[in-house]
Amino acid sequence: MSASHIPNLNTLRRGAGRGRFRTRGGAAAASGGSNASDAGPGSKDTVVQGTDQDASVSRLSAVNLGYLEDRYAQALASPGMETRRMPIINRGTYIRTTAIDHLVTDFLSSSTAPKQIISLGAGSDTRVFRLLSQTPRPTNLIYHELDFATNTASKIKLIRASPLLQRVLGSDVTISPTGDALHSPNYHLHPVDLRTLSQQQPPPPPPPQTTSTPTPTPTPGIDTTLPTLLISECCLIYLTPHEASAVVRYFSETLFPTSVPLGLIIYEPIRPDDAFGRTMVANLATRGIQLQTLQQYATLEAQRGRLRAHGFGDGQAAADVDFIWERWVAAREKDRVAAVEMLDEMEEWRLLARHYCVVWGWRDTLGLRVFDAWRAVEGQDV
Amino acid sequence: MSDLDRAIAQLRACRLIPEAQVRELCYKARELLIEEGNVVCVDAPVTICGDIHGQFHDLMELFRVGGDVPDTNYLFMGDFVDRGFYSLESFLLLLCLKVRYPDRITLIRGNHESRQITTVYGFYDECIRKYGSANVWRYCCEVFDYLALGALVLGASSELEPSGPMMDTTQSSMPIDDTELETEVLNSRGEVTMSTYRPRQRSSSRNISPPRDISAGPGQAPMRSGAAGTGASGDARGSLSNRTGAVLCVHGGLSPVIDTVDKIRLIDRKQEVPHEGAMCDLLWSDPDEIDGWGLSPRGAGFLFGGDIVKHFNYKNDLSLVARAHQLVMEGYKEMFDGGIVTVWSAPNYCYRCGNVAAILELGEDTSSGGTVTRSNGDYGRSNGLLGATAGVRSPGRRYRVFEAAAQDTRGMPAKKPVADYFL
Repeated sequence: MSASHIPNLNTLRRGAGRGRFRTRGGAAAASGGSNASDAGPGSKDTVVQGTDQDASVSRLSAVNLGYLEDRYAQALASPGMETRRMPIINRGTYIRTTAIDHLVTDFLSSSTAPKQIISLGAGSDTRVFRLLSQTPRPTNLIYHELDFATNTASKIKLIRASPLLQRVLGSDVTISPTGDALHSPNYHLHPVDLRTLSQQQPPPPPPPQTTSTPTPTPTPGIDTTLPTLLISECCLIYLTPHEASAVVRYFSETLFPTSVPLGLIIYEPIRPDDAFGRTMVANLATRGIQLQTLQQYATLEAQRGRLRAHGFGDGQAAADVDFIWERWVAAREKDRVAAVEMLDEMEEWRLLARHYCVVWGWRDTLGLRVFDAWRAVEGQDV
Repeated sequence: MSDLDRAIAQLRACRLIPEAQVRELCYKARELLIEEGNVVCVDAPVTICGDIHGQFHDLMELFRVGGDVPDTNYLFMGDFVDRGFYSLESFLLLLCLKVRYPDRITLIRGNHESRQITTVYGFYDECIRKYGSANVWRYCCEVFDYLALGALVLGASSELEPSGPMMDTTQSSMPIDDTELETEVLNSRGEVTMSTYRPRQRSSSRNISPPRDISAGPGQAPMRSGAAGTGASGDARGSLSNRTGAVLCVHGGLSPVIDTVDKIRLIDRKQEVPHEGAMCDLLWSDPDEIDGWGLSPRGAGFLFGGDIVKHFNYKNDLSLVARAHQLVMEGYKEMFDGGIVTVWSAPNYCYRCGNVAAILELGEDTSSGGTVTRSNGDYGRSNGLLGATAGVRSPGRRYRVFEAAAQDTRGMPAKKPVADYFL
């Protein structure tokens, strides 16, 4: 076959944005979006719920290879999903997990006063089990996870099937008759579609003497007087910019009085506008996944601005995953991680790692200093 | 039609050949490769390609853009397998072409042509999945052990014949009197998107051509400098020679224990890629903006700076080192005054990176009436003869840049490869 007989596949392309790999500008996002909305919002939710399975498979891969220590990864992964991820994915999972752990530990160790963590779209996350099984057991921590009922129900199913997980929660555990809500002294699992939160009214101020039953809240057990850390690990980005803002506002304005110290950690993709970013948007769109706030918060600066705008006025910082690997991870730990698997694709690693970021910000109007340790955490300027 | 031609036709259609035939093919390939030296000599013209990584449909696009075998003489710098979903089809096709047209295609070893790496990065799993056992993986790994470690391209012209229509947007320094076309970049439609010129070296003894760095006078676009060793002094002595030095092709780069091309020839290569030493470095190292040598973040091989390249090229009469190994978003990247180039031939690498790919064409030097003026990379060959850095000109370089083949067009597998992200 001579060269002239080899068909030019690129000129055979038909139609616009139909699952093409390389696309320019926002064409792919737009077409992916229309595909997904054709299928109805319900199926889009299913796709977003499915992203949790992807994350738990990645977590298990990193744990099995020795990147991370996590006794609960196996128990919280859906059975039969075990697979070995590529080294760069494993390293990314390692950094995502340890970076958020780092910020969480800073928050929890600032004082022995009671504290609260609210994890949005937590899915099959293992963090609460890792925290509650620490010795000494942190007695002053209340941990909430909010997710679609489908996801909380499957998590509760896995907890029921695992003595290992049950031991962590202790005996004082209540599971709702529908099997999608769980309450224990330290851990609450709330079946909530985050998008409905913004329609909630603020809880009425507790009248001194009343016999009326309290208004039911979608998130019973949240103590609005405790210093609280919100975590969105690849969650808010699947909402529309309006919905995502409404969710944060629900916590920062509606639910918690502004006098209560509040922190927010966001982990999500950034930089959609270069070749890698465009391909990411297009590839995920073909899987029905839309990163809806990505354009709005496309840079570290935009992410910091987002936190400022939401009233996390005492500090905002951000860093991409590449920066965190380079600057946060100690040399010896880097050597250990590098020795787990040979990571050949350095250029691809940097590309990938520069497209994910961790953002953290806090408010502490009364100067309770619960987020002070975060001041020492190195952020990235550009 | 011979069995081999049938196998080629089948593999071109992205269909695998039976295990028994793979075994036979690998046996023949080993017989052929064992006869090759560690450093294969290749005469220009030749088209140099970088990493393929099992992106079969993009390999087809490469052949469409660069011409088919045997019409085009190809040199592939390794990393045929892993990462992509069609490592088997890609590697077996290249191997068939090698056995069918041994003088028209050269394959050298990349760091992924290794037992250890292929078990992590996908080729092993692909063999198990597609053949049901590790046999084919084992046959292929035996071939890997016999692949050459480098190639030396001889007789490349310092000047390109201008090609193709210029695009309106072409960035170009205008050809002026007494210049030659040094580099040209073409898109996959064959349109020139960039070209650079440099002063011609005349054989007249009245050589007063200006030093390169002031050659871009008013009204001219700046010219790209030539390779290391062709700086100002080269121009001053241009009357003595206009030959083009050899081009060394390796997958990764240089090694602190290799100071001459001859030392590469002394390596016992027929083994798994070692974790350290000369052979490992040639397949793993990367150029970097440093002085001297540095530790590689890959955990194997080294980083090497411009001074190392310049010295190595000078000492070995080389005008260029061509290598692959590193993803470059634009498909190719020249460094150190053109002393080294990275060529990357896997577009939208891993279906995720959004990069374009490139191949590098070196033309044949016909100026000396068919007699190839060649350097062969032997140590000291020009020492004392011309002195300094005289005479070795970098080859004219034509880059053809191409994008990933569409995967959803007629006749192509509809299966969409899924790239991993953090969700």
